[in-house]
Amino acid sequence: MTDVLATLSRDRIFYLFVAPFAALTILFGVWPILLSMQVSFTASATALRPNPTYVGLANYAAVLADPIFLASLARTLLYTVLSVVANLAFALGFAILLDSRLLKRGSLFFRLAIFLPVITPDVAGYVVWRWLYDRSFGALNAFLTLLGLPPFGGLSSVDTAMLAILIAELWHHAGFYMIIFLANLSIRDRALEEAAHLDGATTWQRWRYVILPQLRPALVINTVYALIQFLKTFTVVVVMTKGGPNDQTNFVSYYAYQLFDQARYGEATAMATILFAIVIGLSLTAYRLGDREPGQ
Amino acid sequence: MGILRKVACAAFAAAASILPAKAQQLTVWHDLGDNGIKWFEALSAEFAKQKPGVTIRSQSFPTDQWFGRVISALNTDTAPDLIFNNYERVIRIQQQTNKVMDLKALTGTVPDKGFLSEDDMRVATFKGRQIIIPIQRVQMAFGVRKSWLDKNGGKFPDTWEEVKALATAFRDKDPDGNGQADTFGMALQAAKPRDLIHMLDLFTFGSGLRHTLIDPEGKITIDQPGHAEVLEEFLKTYSSYRFVAPDTINHSFAEMYQVIEGGRGGMFRVGDWNVRKWDGAQVLNGDFVSGPWPKFAPNRPNAVVIGGMRGIAVPENSPNKALAQEFAAFMLSKPAQQASLENIGAGVRKDLDISKLSPRQQYFAKAEHRLVAYDFPESIHAFYPELEAAFHRKLLSGIARPPADWKAFIAETAKEMRDLAAKLRG
Repeated sequence: MTDVLATLSRDRIFYLFVAPFAALTILFGVWPILLSMQVSFTASATALRPNPTYVGLANYAAVLADPIFLASLARTLLYTVLSVVANLAFALGFAILLDSRLLKRGSLFFRLAIFLPVITPDVAGYVVWRWLYDRSFGALNAFLTLLGLPPFGGLSSVDTAMLAILIAELWHHAGFYMIIFLANLSIRDRALEEAAHLDGATTWQRWRYVILPQLRPALVINTVYALIQFLKTFTVVVVMTKGGPNDQTNFVSYYAYQLFDQARYGEATAMATILFAIVIGLSLTAYRLGDREPGQ
Repeated sequence: MGILRKVACAAFAAAASILPAKAQQLTVWHDLGDNGIKWFEALSAEFAKQKPGVTIRSQSFPTDQWFGRVISALNTDTAPDLIFNNYERVIRIQQQTNKVMDLKALTGTVPDKGFLSEDDMRVATFKGRQIIIPIQRVQMAFGVRKSWLDKNGGKFPDTWEEVKALATAFRDKDPDGNGQADTFGMALQAAKPRDLIHMLDLFTFGSGLRHTLIDPEGKITIDQPGHAEVLEEFLKTYSSYRFVAPDTINHSFAEMYQVIEGGRGGMFRVGDWNVRKWDGAQVLNGDFVSGPWPKFAPNRPNAVVIGGMRGIAVPENSPNKALAQEFAAFMLSKPAQQASLENIGAGVRKDLDISKLSPRQQYFAKAEHRLVAYDFPESIHAFYPELEAAFHRKLLSGIARPPADWKAFIAETAKEMRDLAAKLRG
């Protein structure tokens, strides 16, 4: 106890400066999460009353027995895996292209072109994508028809809806991941590549064994961030599909939102808590795996 | 000293007698937007004539926000004086707060209320409490784009067969004359549970049937004779008939209105509140006619649908409860109802001056066609929203992947709904 007080006294200036931000984090970050968790243990009809009825884990049991939730969770995980892989592969590919000497001249233009969607308001961007996909007046199908190709089902077909929103999200997010990769590429040690070149390594070998290991910080950050982003996919669904067609894009966040609409607050917050736990668990796992030294 | 005190008291009394009474303000929360704000401004001016010094301040919120704000305000004793919305939304407020006042006694004191029907009062009542005073009946008719109709014979469709013939012509015969196949027979919606079931409600009630999914006794009705036929045709409208835009499965209100106001849908729902906007030169410029929903059977009369009731409610913890009740009762008066008709396009009284309204507005104001009201299952079955969500999910699965046999699909759906209703009833 004396030691703790001594430490506090010694670092009091530090704690004084940190205190306001810690208070804000607790007030606006931690407190709402705790309140949401509290609601998940209450009966929906009384959830928002001053003295709610607590029902223990009943909402969690109901949610985990709900086949629609389980299907939604499986769909969310599938979409997350596909989106993380697609976004990171696309961003890394573009970062490599923009980093190469071949694209030295147009580099700034292409960087801007790919980053621009990131700063575009997401709702506006997704509305335009919805129009592009529209099967009655959309530009995409008009173009395909012009080429004599079959129409793309887009958002209205159960077979293509997930792919369609994945493409729209790729357009919106990939630029952000690309910038992180580019920053990492720009600070890599080029002497190692020259040494490998002198030792007779092929281009592929140089990429695989010299450059890629140096990109690990960017890969870890991008993977963790993308996991968090796509597990919580919501806005694109609200704007483009509203969970349809036939639940094909009904991800967990949107399903929980639908339950809010039916005043099923207990189950909705139980879903949100489960998703929160999954996001934390997967992100920490990805971070731990990526942060390990090779061979560990 | 005594004299001084007497002089001071006399001066205070004299000053108080010549100063106006303390101004009082009532606050109403609604979701009617700018039209609603104008309406309450007009009501404020009228109410001030009988209650000088009292003003009405209205605040409009998007519907979702209205819910959250009202529920939290009522639960934390920071309620507004009055709330105004559709009956089913006030039911949800009552379910979440148990703090919506019973207005039965107040309504009993209103002398002039003969225009309120039994149906109106049934809708206003939830679990024995009259939670709203009915102020605006929400009428919904079947609309057809007039210029397109004129090119195809000009006769307003009366039967479902006539609607189908017209929808085919609107889809295939380039009614807007732009040389492109970009028009559709109908503009409907499907994305959210209320979207699709609301559309089905209109076809069901408009064709003279009384329940869409469940009756007051809790029996599932969708596979009963008459009901099954309407449901099958309704589902085919979204699928094999190709009468709607291909993306309709993802359409909600906003997208449906884009199809209507963008000049691509030939037949659509017309709510009494839509008419004022659609009469505008920049929107439809009055290029539509309204009528009853189509007949599905020659022996069942068709109708315009009363799809809801907007009303005023008083929270138990209203800061000015007595005055709030007085204002709520005033909203049934002729001047208040006239303002409602002129600003929102609806009311409950039948003795209002409609001469200033357009012919399309007058169609609703006169209520010349037979009117059929929703059965309002949410006021009887507390589990209805959950049942409706499951019904919606099942119907969407059929629209997304149309079955070979719709009759079998409907029978299967009915069984699933019966099982779910039994489970939810517990």
